[in-house]
Amino acid sequence: MPIGNVQPSVRPVSSGRTDADPVAAEATGRHRGTRPRRSRGGARAERFAPYVLVAPAILIIVVLRLYPLLLGVNFSFTGDGERNGTVVGIDNYLELLDDSLFRTALGNVGLLVLLLPVAVAIPGLLATFIYLRVPGHRFYRSVYFFPAVLSPVIVGAIFNLLLAFDGPVNAVLGAVGIGPVDWLGDPDVAMFVVVGVHIWATFGMALVVFLAGFATLDSALLDAARVDGASLLQVIRHVIIPGLSRTIAFVAVTTMVGMLTSMFGLLYVMTSGGPEGSTYLPEYYIWIQQGQMNRPALASAASTVLFVIMLVVGLLQVKLLRRAGGED
Amino acid sequence: MKQRALWSAVLVVGLATAGCGSASDTGSSSGGSTDKLVVWDWKSGEPSAKAYIEKAKADFSAKHPDVTVEFVAQPFDQYYTLLGAAIQSGKGPDVMLFNGGGQIRDRVDALVPLDDYVAEDKQRLAGWDAFTKDGKTYAGPVTLQGHPIYYNKDLYAKAGLDPASPATTWDKFLADCAAIGKVGAKCFALGNKEGAGIQFWLSALGSGVLTAQEYDDWIAGKRDWNSPNVKRVFQLWKDAGDAGLNNDGANSTAMFNDAFALFQSAKAAHVIGLMSDVGHWKDFNEFLTPDKLGVMSAPVVTAGTTPSLAYDGGIGYAVAKWTSDPKLAADLVRSLTSTEALQAFYAEAGAIASDTTIDVSQAGPAAATIVGQLKGGKPALHVALSSKTLDLMGRVSQQLLSGSISVDEAVKQLAASDQAG
Amino acid sequence: MTRVRLSRWLLAIPMTLLALATIYPLLFTVNVAMKTRRDYILDRFALTDALRWDNISTAWNSVGMDRYFLNSLIVVTSSVVLLLLLGSMAGFALSQLRFRGSSALFLGCLAGLFVPFQVIMVPLARIMADTALIDTYPGLVLVFVAQFLPFTVFLMTSYYKTIPREVIDAARIDGNSVYGVYRRIMLPLGTPALLSVGILNALFCWNDVLMSLVMMPSAEHRTLMVGVTSLRGQYSDDIPTFASGVLIAAIPVLVVYLFLQRQIADGVAAGSTKG
Repeated sequence: MPIGNVQPSVRPVSSGRTDADPVAAEATGRHRGTRPRRSRGGARAERFAPYVLVAPAILIIVVLRLYPLLLGVNFSFTGDGERNGTVVGIDNYLELLDDSLFRTALGNVGLLVLLLPVAVAIPGLLATFIYLRVPGHRFYRSVYFFPAVLSPVIVGAIFNLLLAFDGPVNAVLGAVGIGPVDWLGDPDVAMFVVVGVHIWATFGMALVVFLAGFATLDSALLDAARVDGASLLQVIRHVIIPGLSRTIAFVAVTTMVGMLTSMFGLLYVMTSGGPEGSTYLPEYYIWIQQGQMNRPALASAASTVLFVIMLVVGLLQVKLLRRAGGED
Repeated sequence: MKQRALWSAVLVVGLATAGCGSASDTGSSSGGSTDKLVVWDWKSGEPSAKAYIEKAKADFSAKHPDVTVEFVAQPFDQYYTLLGAAIQSGKGPDVMLFNGGGQIRDRVDALVPLDDYVAEDKQRLAGWDAFTKDGKTYAGPVTLQGHPIYYNKDLYAKAGLDPASPATTWDKFLADCAAIGKVGAKCFALGNKEGAGIQFWLSALGSGVLTAQEYDDWIAGKRDWNSPNVKRVFQLWKDAGDAGLNNDGANSTAMFNDAFALFQSAKAAHVIGLMSDVGHWKDFNEFLTPDKLGVMSAPVVTAGTTPSLAYDGGIGYAVAKWTSDPKLAADLVRSLTSTEALQAFYAEAGAIASDTTIDVSQAGPAAATIVGQLKGGKPALHVALSSKTLDLMGRVSQQLLSGSISVDEAVKQLAASDQAG
Repeated sequence: MTRVRLSRWLLAIPMTLLALATIYPLLFTVNVAMKTRRDYILDRFALTDALRWDNISTAWNSVGMDRYFLNSLIVVTSSVVLLLLLGSMAGFALSQLRFRGSSALFLGCLAGLFVPFQVIMVPLARIMADTALIDTYPGLVLVFVAQFLPFTVFLMTSYYKTIPREVIDAARIDGNSVYGVYRRIMLPLGTPALLSVGILNALFCWNDVLMSLVMMPSAEHRTLMVGVTSLRGQYSDDIPTFASGVLIAAIPVLVVYLFLQRQIADGVAAGSTKG
């Protein structure tokens, strides 16, 4: 995967040099066009440099995330309540399988995966339009981020009011002759509503990432496509998607992680997992078991399942998008 | 150029951070020491609890002038999660607030039995049962929580009913509801989004449906889910929904506080509310005025039953077993349940306090009715159920309202869950 | 050309509608914050009859928000600076340098992205308690950095991969060490990505409740969002005061975003004119 080389340079570090003009450096890089020669041997420090650069990040992630994860997984094989501290094997996992609520939660994860392309496409398209300088693009760029700064509790409370059975949305529907929909009270509808609100509340963040991604896009290609008279759809399909494949992969993964680990606030306020348990997600299930039912070990087992799901779906996504982007 | 500006900005922020960090890092809290007690709750941050906390603190510092007390108000939605983390790592507050019933009974392993310390208060305070497990008491009750049926006398008058004599039988009640419907109001304000609606329904109406024997058996743990009267409670719930007695979209209406808001804005004539915290007489007095707010007993459904008010201990303070001086912490619990502190809590927050000697005559007729019914009151039916069964009951009740399950099937599922737990 | 222009204007219509939809909740929140509790319950949508600042001052004064504000500022700025530093270092190494084990290390970082906080909450609290880091600023900063570092490394790695190798080679020929390349080339070139990932990290850390709650149990070290969240009691009673708290917490993030988004946009513009 990594490109480039770490073969130390023969040239000594010039001590007099304190600053480099990156633009000039980049320009020379562009114009040179040829690979510089590599040389063998040299300072030992240079060979360890990549490890030195990576070490702090790896150390923190291993000590404060992966090691506790191991402890947590270990905990999921112990019991709750009376059996606190004793090893119970896979009992907790069997109980999860047996619990229809947890199965609903897993089913909803499937739904989220299906809805993921929509959740990625919306900020992607909006970022494209902003990048292409739609009239008012500065304004959109500023305000689309607004919902992201509001607490999910407030966002949930506002949508509760808007989507109430006797709320304004149904009033508008009624005015155009469509019967009222019980947005948050109908088990077939509620999950879509909550996911929709979540997408609405977070697309501003993905937009920021997309805009950063556009900075890496070679606009010469874009101009060429324009000269050739390509339509907007063609530009998106043949220039933007391949050019931004890494950014898209990144947004897809983080959006999915976000949907699986940060919808608690919305669920808590908007549906409380209901109606009829239809909006349960693993995260909410974990919260219920850990906080309300006092079943920490069972909650650990559910968290472990959530971790495995996220890992599998995430890595699959990265692979798929890599392939689609035609790299590596 | 731009880069340089950015870097200097980062540098300034970094320096400012370092400066703040060193300046304000004034020693961390003293865990497990004897000169400081840490209390966790979700109440002390509320303005209406301010006077209560101050009185309790004053009472405690009069007895223990050298000990400082720190109240940490936690967000309620993460309260028990946080508490769970503290219990599992064996490090946490010395004193903590609990809801009565399942929440405290599930966690008694981490608590100190208080019976020896609070013996003197046993007579003065009510509501101990909700904080008791296997004969040991784990918290001092602060409030009483129960489910009176409130009604709007104004709407009664508008519908041509006598506001002074609400229905005492279910048939009469249904007739009254029909009259109320004619003047454009709903019979019940119901919020069942959290599944709390059915809990309130069960406890508020249960005493008019179950016989005294069935009621006592239920509380004692001998619950016969196949009895016709138990089924009737759920049948009534379904019938009320089918007959349109509730506001529209009850399954998507939050009890807290959308359903209460419907009652407060006179869009519904009745609501099964609370005694303390919120959705209670003080809230309703504020919106309907005290003389328009009534409290009625459960209408009799099964002939021969005597309706009673359902209530238990609401919230109470418990002592963690890792505290270094349980006696000291228990003294704080006693201060938190002193008459003076509870008097302040009643006056500011409208809580029906556990101290039954407090005079509530100034609080209007509704509060007086509630307090008057305390003597004949019984523990609430839903509080006797496990957290797991309550959770299931919430979901099943939503299915009953939407018509996707029959009463028989609902009761069967509940029975299975109740017997498994 | 005119056709393109027309289609752009057509696009502007739904985008404007969406923009209005994103502004509305903020206005709604401001409106609610101005209302009395009674007005809110009786009619939630109606405009407030007066500009009331009591709720905001109640929210600010009642629970020591100034203290929490400072705590948040300390923890969030330290975390973000550390995240950007470590993230760009690792991102540079993983994207541009070839060394033994780099793929495994990258996967290790990636795995960290998929660890839900709930599963590590209790073990982590215990580790923090054992190392006396619980309830300290460095403790929460470390937890934040660990939480958001995988994301940061991931983004910086993908971003740095797009920088042509020739740029680095040229700098090496000019006599820069690997560290010199990082400092003089990678950091400046990474500005758009650093800014956006910095904004996002700041937002994540600022809005976090659960980690801050578990790692900072004392009131003294509590962060702003925890303080705001605890304004809502068991029954989410006083929405106007809560809305005021939310506004207090949101304003700094909005200001930072509005200030920094220009820099991101400049980065985008610079990128688009490069070729």
